[in-house]
Amino acid sequence: MNARPGRGRVVAPLLIVAASLAGLAGVLAIAGYDPVLALGALWRGSLGSFDAFASGTLVRATPLILIALGFALALRGGMLNIGAEGQFLAGAMAAAWLGVHLAGWPSLLAIPATWVVAFAAGLIWVVVPVVLRVRYGVLEVISTLLLNFVAEALVSFMVQGPLQERSGIYPQSDPIADAARLPLLPGTRLHLGIVLAILLAAALWFYFSRTLGGFRLLAVGTGPRAAAITGRIDVTRTAALALLVSGGIAGLAGAAEVGGVAYALYPNLSPGYGFTAIAVALLARLHPGAIIVTGVLFGALETGAGAMQRDAGIPAVIVYVVEAVIILALLLADARRTARSPAVAGAA
Amino acid sequence: MRGLLTRLCCIGVVSLSLFSCDRPAPDSSSSFRVALITPGSIADAAWNSGAYAGLLRIRDSLGASVSHVEALTPAAQEEALRSYAAQGFDIIFANGFEFQEPAERVARTYPDAVFVVNSGSRAAGKVIPLVFRIEEATYLAGMVAGGLSRSGIIGFVGGVELPPVRRGERGWTNGARAVNPAIASRVTYLNNWEDAASGREAALALLRLGADMLHHNADAAALGAFQAVKETEGAYIFGANADQSSLAPDRVVGSAVIDLAHAFLLVAREVRGGTLRSEAKSFGLAGDVLRFVPNPRLAGVVPAALSARVRAAADSIASGRLDPLRGEEPGP
Repeated sequence: MNARPGRGRVVAPLLIVAASLAGLAGVLAIAGYDPVLALGALWRGSLGSFDAFASGTLVRATPLILIALGFALALRGGMLNIGAEGQFLAGAMAAAWLGVHLAGWPSLLAIPATWVVAFAAGLIWVVVPVVLRVRYGVLEVISTLLLNFVAEALVSFMVQGPLQERSGIYPQSDPIADAARLPLLPGTRLHLGIVLAILLAAALWFYFSRTLGGFRLLAVGTGPRAAAITGRIDVTRTAALALLVSGGIAGLAGAAEVGGVAYALYPNLSPGYGFTAIAVALLARLHPGAIIVTGVLFGALETGAGAMQRDAGIPAVIVYVVEAVIILALLLADARRTARSPAVAGAA
Repeated sequence: MRGLLTRLCCIGVVSLSLFSCDRPAPDSSSSFRVALITPGSIADAAWNSGAYAGLLRIRDSLGASVSHVEALTPAAQEEALRSYAAQGFDIIFANGFEFQEPAERVARTYPDAVFVVNSGSRAAGKVIPLVFRIEEATYLAGMVAGGLSRSGIIGFVGGVELPPVRRGERGWTNGARAVNPAIASRVTYLNNWEDAASGREAALALLRLGADMLHHNADAAALGAFQAVKETEGAYIFGANADQSSLAPDRVVGSAVIDLAHAFLLVAREVRGGTLRSEAKSFGLAGDVLRFVPNPRLAGVVPAALSARVRAAADSIASGRLDPLRGEEPGP
């Protein structure tokens, strides 16, 4: 695991994106669409104007960055959290449940309150995997993944049961109170969640690179045996805590999505943020600063995909193929790069 | 980029001007612009594909320039509403109740666009909900089913228990009972719109309970129900939302059709003519937006007397003499 920030880590993925976009232009041309029109729409819809960047790209990037930060924290401790999707939904449920009851509160209290319960809900959602891992050695990869389905089912129960909107007709919750809604950057859809994401990235960067705790976490993640032999590190405890907090951060992402974007609990709240965020974190080599960059990149891709449909008439299915091709190209190129430097490959 | 666009537009304008001189190019130069946002794939052979057909009909009939986007999550949905409104689209069709609140939020910032929310809950300024009285068509389907059923048991597979789905089921049951008061009606909800495997399982369970006439309102998940009927001797099914006879040509007796395209066109005409009022727009058999469409290949299966009764009931419903949700006998 190499924690040093390097310019190559940021520039190389950008070059890969450029290369895959060029390939993409070829594919679009073969499929009979105008690549110039399509890529122009992709650009204009994502990074081409301040409004597109703030109201589209950054809004989509916020949950990705948050979840990726949590994922990176857990993986530094050697824990593979595949269940961020479920923890995100747990946080969203908690935030929506509290949010509808906060009418009349000052925002200064209401917003932190929803964040606290969402963090707690995300954390609680990984308690079972942590216990299974620590007590019985059940791989967290499996247990966190399976709990995603439980969370999805629970959301769909909630929006038709305890949290269903007042008229009892539609599968969604009541809108949350104004007090619990995150402030927006005037004239855009950009909400406070992005500030939370950036602050958290800064805090994690400091923790990873400047504190003893961050060093211990790294030791546990890279060589648990060695870490245990030193006698100074409680390996189990450190790894378990990392996984728990990682779940809490995914829960926070759920609260930010409910408080800043959806304003209510909907069953289709996440298009798979929990999985895309894994690519975001891996591509950034788990570096918090780089995660912001890759998160924005993926946010731009998702927003631009919508613009390609709207403005260039590219069918949704082709857009999804394009997205997948870019992600695969990124990961493939990244893997090749990693393979050439064995020290890093061994650590990741 | 700009040069290429201009060239494309020129080609478009020139080729279209061969047909008529004032018909605009479809993509950029028309002054009347219409957008559609669907919460799912337009390849579902029902709800979203019907809406897409509506968009194309507006393009072809009114010469509007059109655009479509799929938006699966709240984040993407509001983004799409906003983008279209900011680009100055005249009408933005949003194909689902979940667009109601985002549309109202976006409408506050962009007061010029008309937002049409399919199955929306309330009219608010230029946010207009469309309501389809599906029960009027399913009542007629139910009458045919009630007349044809040998076992006296009919079955219904619903997607998610939403009000229009429930209303459709009540119309279906009431229609069957109008013909045969002893009919037993079984109902299953799948809790999703996509899982064709669960649609098939639900249909097979109903068939095992003795149902021989099935109906559904489950979009893509219902494709499994059609499969189940094809595998079961003596079972028949009635399509929903679109004319689905082609899904099982020997087993689909008819379909309760919502002509979304026709409804979209009616709304678009009102917007362009400036006559649209801020109120829910409700459609039924009377405006020819809802219909019961029999499968011509199975026309011989339905007795002439039954067909005549169905036609009479359709007239009674269209003229308001018969309420399919209460299900009074229209009289001989």
